[in-house]
Amino acid sequence: MNMNTNLPNNNSRNIAPERIAQLLTRAAQQLDDNTVAALRQARNVALERQLVSKPVFILSTGHDMRWLMPHSTHQWVATIILFAAILFGGVNYWQHSQENELAHLDVAILTDDLPLEVFVD
Amino acid sequence: MVIVFLLLGLIGTPADAATIFWHSLTPAQQEALAPLSQQWDNLPELQQRRLLKTAKRYPNLTPEQKQRYRDRLEAWSKLTPEQRKAAREKYRAFSKVPAEKREQVKQMIRQDQDVKAPQSASGIPAAAPLPIQP
Repeated sequence: MNMNTNLPNNNSRNIAPERIAQLLTRAAQQLDDNTVAALRQARNVALERQLVSKPVFILSTGHDMRWLMPHSTHQWVATIILFAAILFGGVNYWQHSQENELAHLDVAILTDDLPLEVFVD
Repeated sequence: MVIVFLLLGLIGTPADAATIFWHSLTPAQQEALAPLSQQWDNLPELQQRRLLKTAKRYPNLTPEQKQRYRDRLEAWSKLTPEQRKAAREKYRAFSKVPAEKREQVKQMIRQDQDVKAPQSASGIPAAAPLPIQP
């Protein structure tokens, strides 16, 4: 295969990506059938190996997310404690906010210039 | 151990279940909640905690507001939890009414009170409940 066909004389780093793609396409068209078959087979083998080693947790972004998963019992326990702490903190914060709002309302009712009976059925 | 602590925290800490006795309150809390000194120890713990939260704001009130707070505290504590909840919702709804309209309603209620004031001596409530649906 002749990859140097129509290559400009200046530094190859200055070639636009579209131009490189064109050159590669053109070079690929010049490959003989045996080379194409060998490349295709090698590609299929590589893809199969990749599928075996990375079967799960490939999100739609295409990134491997397995590193996020705990790998040992200690990591699982730590993860559970972390989530429990976040849940506990969230519930506590919510309760605290609710109680503060109630206290604010109670003081407002108890000090309003309208009598208490107005708000009580 | 940590998990047990966290689970206890989620369902309510054991300290939440303890009654708060009048003698354990600070002088500032006792001053604010003085009208309830006699019945304080018998109030439900949740109500005690909520009253203490209101007492925390007492020092920041104006003298007039402090007077109203202390005058109404006993009646407020005698309401059922449902009545207090309904009163809060009614107050919250009334707060959302535009200021101008709120003032008009207040004026109407005051006039209504003035008319009914002589009758209140004969046992009729002095103020009509606010006609606002929560």
